[in-house]
Amino acid sequence: MAKRTTPVSGLERNNEPAVLILTSLASGDKHGYALSKDIEGFAGIVLGPGTLYGAITRLEERGLIEPTPSDDRRQPYRITAGGLAALSAALEQMRQLSEIGTSRLGARIATSRLAPGGIVPGYSL
Amino acid sequence: MSRSNRFERLLRWYPTAWRSRYGAGMVALMEDTYATAGMPLRGRLAIMRAGVCERAREAGVLGRETSPLDRQRAGSLLVLCGWAAVMLAGAFFAKFTDNWNSLLSGGGRTLSNVSFIAVQWGGVLGIVLVAVAVVCVVPSLVALVRAGGWASVRRPIVRTVIVGAVVVALTVALVAWAHHLPYRDRNGGLIPYEFVVAGWSVTVAIAVGVATSAAVSVTRRLELSARKIQSLSLIAVTLTFFMFVIFAGTLAWAVTESLDAPAFMRQAIGSGLFTNASSFPPVMVVTVLVMLLGLAAAITGTVRVAQARHDGALRYVGDQSP
Repeated sequence: MAKRTTPVSGLERNNEPAVLILTSLASGDKHGYALSKDIEGFAGIVLGPGTLYGAITRLEERGLIEPTPSDDRRQPYRITAGGLAALSAALEQMRQLSEIGTSRLGARIATSRLAPGGIVPGYSL
Repeated sequence: MSRSNRFERLLRWYPTAWRSRYGAGMVALMEDTYATAGMPLRGRLAIMRAGVCERAREAGVLGRETSPLDRQRAGSLLVLCGWAAVMLAGAFFAKFTDNWNSLLSGGGRTLSNVSFIAVQWGGVLGIVLVAVAVVCVVPSLVALVRAGGWASVRRPIVRTVIVGAVVVALTVALVAWAHHLPYRDRNGGLIPYEFVVAGWSVTVAIAVGVATSAAVSVTRRLELSARKIQSLSLIAVTLTFFMFVIFAGTLAWAVTESLDAPAFMRQAIGSGLFTNASSFPPVMVVTVLVMLLGLAAAITGTVRVAQARHDGALRYVGDQSP
């Protein structure tokens, strides 16, 4: 069984909603609905209210985001310096993972081309 | 009911502190998200699930936001909840096996005898452990009350006392009636009696639930020293072992008797409300399942305790290092 470790960013692995929220807030302060629509726009993922506010709660507890003053019931949030650092570390991890995955996939497809079965349909690099 | 009210009602699944902090923002989000179409059932279920998770986090049963000691306390209380389920199922088992030894005689029943004794001793030792835990926390409760904290624990304690008094009154009445009935009537021969026993069982189940909920609610509010929490968590882990013994004993007894004495399993509790013609009747199935549920909760609590102790030890080592 794989052992989970806490990465440098402080965000647990596969903590997609948190990374998506931080990514969205990196472009400016947003409230819940604006976050939801922005994430849907750039990632194609619809976060339900329960998931979104669960992630907001965790991020605020860890000091990665903070509420901004508002007269409206819609509470906007902004990313903190700690949040920017955590997002940067999480994206760096993703970049490394992406590079390793791309390189291994490329090697595998190259091997498949030489093999009698030919290449895997639909894959191109 | 207006749309906002409906959303606010949904938020009751969340803890009060969370609602006062995030409730308004979340209701606004739901209003914006479901402005044109109604909220689908899947969405409502997701909110309920998220609310329950948030409550579990607040209680220290989920996540790592709380301190290792708080997580040990939460794990121990989860074991207590599991124990309540096992005790409830154990009461069914006790009723089911009423007169079992006197009705069946002869050799060749070693396994069922050993299993039965294991269940009995597991229950007795478990009750002793819970009593020791209660003795451990009573001084802290007294200190809380003396410090003016009675208001914070009054409601669950008063509720438990009222429900307990009702159960005692019902039990006395039921026992008085049962003493005037012949054996056959008390064991499925009299349908009204079976209905009353079923109603009484539900009341007992509610009382156990209320008492457990009160114990959890009160213990969470108490100031407990690190040593006391560690002692309670040790008691909880031992209690889980006894719960496993009770579960294994019950299962072994039921399987052995359904093979060796199917006639007893079919007829021992008569032909009334709780029986059918199976040698592994539904009441035994329910008993085993409820015990399994309780054991699963206790194991989850024990794992939580073990992880918290491990984290606490790591933190201690970290504090000691230069």
